[in-house]
Amino acid sequence: MSTASPVKTTAVSAEGVWKAYGTGEAQVVALRDVSVQFASGAFTAIMGPSGSGKSTLMHCLAGLDTTDRGTVHIGDTPVTGLNDKALTKLRRDKIGFIFQQFNLLPTLTAEENITLPAAIAGAKADPDWLKKIIHTLDLTDRLSHKPTELSGGQQQRVACARALATRPEVVFADEPTGNLDTRSGAEVLRFLRTSVDDFGQTIVMVTHDPGAAAYADRVVFLADGRIVEDMAEPTADKVIDKMKHFEELVAAAQEETA
Amino acid sequence: MLRATLKGMAARKARLILTSLAVVLGSAFIASALVLTASIRATVADLSGDAYRGADVLVQPLEPENRGDRLVRDGVTAETLAAIESSEDVAEVSTTVSWMVNALGEDGKIVGGFAPTLSVNWGDASVERELREGRAPETDREVAVSAQFVTESGLGLGDTVTAYALDTDETAYEIVGVYGYSGGRDSLSGATELAFTTPEAQRLVFGGEDAYTAVAVTAASGVSADDLLASLEPAVGDEAQAITRQAYVDDLNAESAEATKLIGYFLLGFGLIAVFVSVFLIANTFSIVIAGRLKEIAMMRAIGAGRGQITRSVLAEAGLLGAVASVVGAGIGVAAGAGLTSVVANGFLDTASTSVAIPWTAPLAAVAVGVGVTVLSALVPAVRASKTPPVEAMRAAAKADKPILGVTVTGLLVTLLGATGIVLGLNETFDGDNMNLMSAAVGAGVVFVGVALLTAWLSKPVVALLGAVWSWSFAGRLGRLNAARNPRRTAVTAAALMIGVTLVTATATLLTSVKESLAAQFESSIQAELFITGPVTSSVPATFDPELMDDVRAVDGVDTAVELYYDVAQVDGTEQSVNATTDLEGGIALFGGEVVEGTVENLAEGQTVVNESSADLLGAGLGDTVAMTFSRGTESREFTIVGILADNADTDGWYVDRSYATEFYTPKPTTALVDVADGADVEEVTADVEAVLADEPAVSVQNHEEYLAQVTVFFDYAIIAIQLLLALAMIVAVIGVVNTLVLSVLERTRELGMLRAMGMTRGQTTRMVTVESVTIALFGALLGVGTGLLLGWIVQQALAPSGIEEFAVPTALIAAYLGAAVLVGLLAAIAPAVRASKVDILGAISYE
Repeated sequence: MSTASPVKTTAVSAEGVWKAYGTGEAQVVALRDVSVQFASGAFTAIMGPSGSGKSTLMHCLAGLDTTDRGTVHIGDTPVTGLNDKALTKLRRDKIGFIFQQFNLLPTLTAEENITLPAAIAGAKADPDWLKKIIHTLDLTDRLSHKPTELSGGQQQRVACARALATRPEVVFADEPTGNLDTRSGAEVLRFLRTSVDDFGQTIVMVTHDPGAAAYADRVVFLADGRIVEDMAEPTADKVIDKMKHFEELVAAAQEETA
Repeated sequence: MLRATLKGMAARKARLILTSLAVVLGSAFIASALVLTASIRATVADLSGDAYRGADVLVQPLEPENRGDRLVRDGVTAETLAAIESSEDVAEVSTTVSWMVNALGEDGKIVGGFAPTLSVNWGDASVERELREGRAPETDREVAVSAQFVTESGLGLGDTVTAYALDTDETAYEIVGVYGYSGGRDSLSGATELAFTTPEAQRLVFGGEDAYTAVAVTAASGVSADDLLASLEPAVGDEAQAITRQAYVDDLNAESAEATKLIGYFLLGFGLIAVFVSVFLIANTFSIVIAGRLKEIAMMRAIGAGRGQITRSVLAEAGLLGAVASVVGAGIGVAAGAGLTSVVANGFLDTASTSVAIPWTAPLAAVAVGVGVTVLSALVPAVRASKTPPVEAMRAAAKADKPILGVTVTGLLVTLLGATGIVLGLNETFDGDNMNLMSAAVGAGVVFVGVALLTAWLSKPVVALLGAVWSWSFAGRLGRLNAARNPRRTAVTAAALMIGVTLVTATATLLTSVKESLAAQFESSIQAELFITGPVTSSVPATFDPELMDDVRAVDGVDTAVELYYDVAQVDGTEQSVNATTDLEGGIALFGGEVVEGTVENLAEGQTVVNESSADLLGAGLGDTVAMTFSRGTESREFTIVGILADNADTDGWYVDRSYATEFYTPKPTTALVDVADGADVEEVTADVEAVLADEPAVSVQNHEEYLAQVTVFFDYAIIAIQLLLALAMIVAVIGVVNTLVLSVLERTRELGMLRAMGMTRGQTTRMVTVESVTIALFGALLGVGTGLLLGWIVQQALAPSGIEEFAVPTALIAAYLGAAVLVGLLAAIAPAVRASKVDILGAISYE
């Protein structure tokens, strides 16, 4: 499979992205000249304190929000400047989402939720591929259940399967373990890790949990709308250690731009 | 607490406006009904105030007992008039000679529909006539006509008009004048009028006798109306009766009040249905609003608000909403009622001058009902809200719906109870037909309520079935699933539509069944192919020359032809239908009648034949003697019953020899039946019979269908009238569906955001909401059609013994109702769908 290629191409990139909300006195600058690349087949975590701009960055990367300045690309496709229709199609065909609150449709069974993106596109999901991820996520005997009949962990696993079902170029996960107990959270993170290692999936995950970030190949730290640190091969300890010195990092970054 | 309520209401303006629309509509209908009724009454009072203006006392002929309007009128005689004129207390006398007449229009057909055509004497003081063109009639061959007559007849000044009364031949008159009435009216209540000279009017009405239908008397100065009345007593004597003009006008007003009551009831009925439906809407909205505010309510409870305070705050909200909405509704209603007055006055009273009366009860009743209904509807949601435990505030919201088991069990029990009543009634368990009919009817009403309670339970399977239609599209499938998602809410929304559709379907089914039953009876019994008869609406009963019947019988292809004379006579002191004919045996055969006892051959003088139940009514049997007095008869005659007929709607009544017809109200035949010989060309025979009757404009030759259509025309009008009810139900239903959808879209914002984030297009989102809307509307309409058919069937079954034996389904109407439901769904979906497609994705999926 092409995803096993050792040559790492860029799946998502941002170039000089600025984003501000509100005007005048009330203006809040969420992103200040952020440039970052996410390699294909890699698992990247975005970390930062509340208000650091990590969620905004994800929204801009995923075509959910527009940038004030700068450009975003998904693969070769420029995201910046697309109209609603094109953005909708882009999200449908190239992006998978996993949200904090499981966001399954309560009216549909687990299986129907998993094939939802394909159904929206009016296409049919590849059955072999579906079988593979459903098996990996251990959902085989839960397929006919409604979301209300599933545990929190099971619901989030269904959401994971849904995100991967169309083999998107990139999966964005927004605090995917935020609502789960430790064990269920670990299961989800292990699956995300597996999907990168075994299926070559690209994943960008926003989290504030150092334990979750430790599953990633790389951690990008955001503070005050800037990237302040880029850590490869993170461990929980390394991440916690970095966070302890966060204020110094921010101050240094501010001085740098000043 | 009130402050919190007000702030809360301000934050949910759109939702409240939608809810209040139903209340506005209901109270507007109530207010307009009351204002319209009062205004029409005032307008009519103004008009009747014009009657015999200037007169003080009216002298009219006696109303003979039990003989009603069919009687040939006795007039106030010339002797009585002379006696009145000779009284010292009398200053002025004017006379009226007025009765029904038939006039032929430009097309040779009898003028007029349901309103009568009258002949009057020019100079009659009963109303003020204003000459518009030409002059008054001066000779017996001249006539002035009302403007309405010109409109309906197509004739005008200088034309010749043919007119005739019951006992006069057709006479041609020259139209020398055209007139209107005071207030610029073209007619009095739509009637057409011809004014002749007094002698000519007397010839038409009294056959030339010098008599009057009314004498208006003005008192000499210084004499009061009551004094005049007393002093005229000897002059009037026993031959006539005198009343003061005031008493006459009061009677007129009382009569019109009685008539306008119907219009008022009709509108009030509409108002009450709107109010009834809005109960569902309001209860639904408050339930949803409170469900959305559970956390807020729990928080209030946690910081120390008592249960009572929560209940009161919800009720205060309902009361405030009800007050504002019903005040607005009352205002709209009063304005609409005043506006409608001129429409009704123009349409029915034919007057441009209207008096608007606004009784203080109108706005008061509207507001009272509006507020009361809103508060009552909110009571259940309010109490439920007060039961919210404070810990809800700390929990994540959104749990499964409350089970619908309780409502379903209640609904099943209620339905069973109603069904029991129906079964008992239809099987004639009780003594007395009325008890059985009551039992079935009440049972039907109870079933209606039961089904309304069962809507929630029914919604799952029915919506699933309906949804099969949409499943080809994924968005459609999601919409269908959404419609089934909250059975309670779907049910209440659909119930609003169901009520209206049930009522119209039941009525339409019953009317169609009655119509079909009549038709079926007719088809199965009547052997004759052709009917010679006049329109049921002509002022003077349509008759034709009996001599022509010989020519009809001589037509090639005519087997039998039997003419019938008709009268309403006194039989042993009761009013009964009496027929006379030359060929009773032939007539009975053509009508499909059946002889039970005795004979119907060659009725001789003093012999009569009657159907079983009419004989039973008088306790008479074969061989017994009855006394009959005919309309024009001066004496009572003895008849012996020689034959008994089986009951049959077409042949019921008494039969006597044709020689008695001279004493009938219509001494000429009114109907004839023609049996066409086997193998003869019916169309050819029809043309030949028509040729024979060419000089008889009052009657025409009709085949089965034409005759039936004429007999059943009333039902067609009634069916059209009830469709108005449907329109009202549809408006309220649109509001209900919009309300539910907007709330659903609000509740599912996050879900919609997620779907859009995953790549669902705006078009798909719109489609999803539209399908949900159409599904809910169709569900309601289907339930309504089903319940309506059931109710219609029950009433038809209960009436089967009275001859309504056919059950007919108004298929075209039902298809139209379902079509209208789809339209309701589509209309209601517009705003919510646009809202759903514009959901802000980021806002929807972000969390605090």
